[in-house]
Amino acid sequence: MSERTPTISFGSAVPAGGGEVTIDIRTPDLEINFGPQHPATHGVMRILMRTDGELVTGAQPHLGYLHRCAEKIGENVEWLQYLPYTDRYDYLASMNNNLGYSLAVEALLGVEIPRRATLIRIICAELNRIGSHLVAFGTYGLDIGAFTPFLYTFREREWMMALFEKICGARLTYSYIRIGGVFNDAPPGWFEEVARFCDVFDVKWQEYVDLLLVNQIFVKRTANIGVISREMALDFALTGPMLRGSGVDWDLRRDMPYMCYGEIWRDGAYKIPVARGEMGALGDCWDRAWVRVQEMIESIKIVRWCLDHMVDGPVIGELPKTLKVPTGEVYVGIENPRGELGHYLVSDGGKVSVRTRVRGPMCTNHAVLEDILPGALVGDAIAIIGSTDIVVGETDR
Amino acid sequence: MDFQGLHDRLLAINAPGLVGTDEPRKPNPKDKKDKGRAGDPFVIVDAQQLVLFLEVCRDDDRLCFEQLIDITATDPSKDGADLWINVSLLSLKFRHRLQIKCLLPKSAAELPSTVRVYRASQWNERECAEMFGIKFVGHPDPRNILLPDDWLGFPLRKDYEFPKEYHGISCE
Amino acid sequence: MISLEHQFEENVLTTKVDWLLNWARLSSIWPMTFGLACCAIEMMAVGAAHHDIDRFGAGAFRASPRQADLMIVAGTVNFKMAERVKRLYDQMPSPKYVIAMGACATGGGPYYKFGYTVVKGVDRVIPVDVYIAGCPPRPEALLEGLMKLQEKIRNSSVIRKPARLA
Repeated sequence: MSERTPTISFGSAVPAGGGEVTIDIRTPDLEINFGPQHPATHGVMRILMRTDGELVTGAQPHLGYLHRCAEKIGENVEWLQYLPYTDRYDYLASMNNNLGYSLAVEALLGVEIPRRATLIRIICAELNRIGSHLVAFGTYGLDIGAFTPFLYTFREREWMMALFEKICGARLTYSYIRIGGVFNDAPPGWFEEVARFCDVFDVKWQEYVDLLLVNQIFVKRTANIGVISREMALDFALTGPMLRGSGVDWDLRRDMPYMCYGEIWRDGAYKIPVARGEMGALGDCWDRAWVRVQEMIESIKIVRWCLDHMVDGPVIGELPKTLKVPTGEVYVGIENPRGELGHYLVSDGGKVSVRTRVRGPMCTNHAVLEDILPGALVGDAIAIIGSTDIVVGETDR
Repeated sequence: MDFQGLHDRLLAINAPGLVGTDEPRKPNPKDKKDKGRAGDPFVIVDAQQLVLFLEVCRDDDRLCFEQLIDITATDPSKDGADLWINVSLLSLKFRHRLQIKCLLPKSAAELPSTVRVYRASQWNERECAEMFGIKFVGHPDPRNILLPDDWLGFPLRKDYEFPKEYHGISCE
Repeated sequence: MISLEHQFEENVLTTKVDWLLNWARLSSIWPMTFGLACCAIEMMAVGAAHHDIDRFGAGAFRASPRQADLMIVAGTVNFKMAERVKRLYDQMPSPKYVIAMGACATGGGPYYKFGYTVVKGVDRVIPVDVYIAGCPPRPEALLEGLMKLQEKIRNSSVIRKPARLA
């Protein structure tokens, strides 16, 4: 922050009785704290912003306000006891977190997952993806200043949470997808209700588009703002909608398939939405919001495929009472609503893991803020931060 | 490419720092103590040459690892002398992954920073530094990232003692 | 003493000062947006249309602590955040209330053991009026906690009892 002495200059030949006087006053840059308590930070995030008037000239994210020692806990509790902690790092996508951890442990165990369990897992993961994007989209509108879309997205989300409550008893942190399969079978009538949800949602998503996505004010607030180029996206290892919003066609469900996503892709059931820069520069905030809305629609198609191909059978594989995972190390990455969620597990053959490393998508998605915030106005900075869809539980673990 | 193909390519281009590999194996029926190893194969690289190795991985047109997915560390045992640095790379073009491991002695835990190769490692290296006490030489911003600035000790090491209190608030 | 009842028209109410002040306070408790972690999502669900908190008068979530009456600590507090929680609590004007929502704010939650940076209960930092259990608590549980707080306010008094003479 530099203090510059004010210079005063007068226009030449000031006429008597009137004229212009220009005074050139330099002011130092202002450093303001954006967070950790702020209505638009999506959690406890702090950005130290340096602003020259309304223009942001520097931004430094500060983390750690929600550090909950997930990795240390992983080294001290047993394999299955760690599952509830996986719910809580990205609390909007709990099913996906459970899934990532379970797949990693199963890769070390080498256990066979029943087909019914796989299909139920995919249904739950995709419904959770819809729920997560609903919150992201609704609160993005809230940040920009639109309150109504938030209420509409939460209406669908309540239905989704009611569905999950029927199957596993919890609304937000499920611990439903366990090592070896899922916790228990779906109650009778659950699949019919999921099908009804899909039918209703197929009509409702148009409301979100009409209310917010193509709303001229929203477009003006988000188009050409916070542009992330393809090279920057790859250098920063961005994943998920942030990567696809910059035009890079990459999705782990299709390109490195796990469970039966490869089969669903080969059947042509879903597409991967990749932004095309429709409203402005490719890689701007509008593109990322568009990708999230499109992903919700594609998730419905995946859920429908699973409902059509549902089979009967057990929902959990054969596992010993005390789980001892064989010695080894594995890294398994899955497509979380926010990007690639990776679990790196090291086992020495015991009941407790040696290392549980959680590679959250926010580890890298959040870091890009330091580079894209400078040069934006303060109001645009809010739009950029909202478009990265930050969940601080994931950044801090 | 599968792991064998990746390893052959690394040998063919003389990737700097490549020491060896560790691949999964079945338990040895003759030796009861050898329970085998499950999981992923990885290459072992010398820690001091990790930066050059990553540069080669990024720039070679048959490997083409555009993204550094994760750089982290592990403390394998309380009495062991080494820490591990684990790096995970991803290639979008060829759809393959590479897991890398480096051994680092606990008494001299220093290695050059990889930020100049991949910007993605910026925050992950800060996290390793504060959790394990590893020094990444040349990192542009080596402050604590998740822990408070005056935190004592390295939490993810196996010999870490949990604190009793912090700034007057009890931890019990 | 002449009874004043039935002397006035029907739209005049006589009551105690305590009752009136308490009724005013409990009907318009304005919370501060202080969602920290997972419980914040359930707090947002309470603010949304399905479990409307606005019908309790508490729907105006204020961003600034200087304009808020209630701090709902929704989520885990860790040491780095504890200093900010204290500062925000000090910035709130009296009368102020605190609800500790969820297992983490009540007593550390699932991070009680092995969570080296987690404060085991926000009441180690600021005084708490109502504790709500759950991980995360259902929105109905948060509404019940709010109603318990309203009951607490209803039973409080601003009038000091006169000192005993002799």
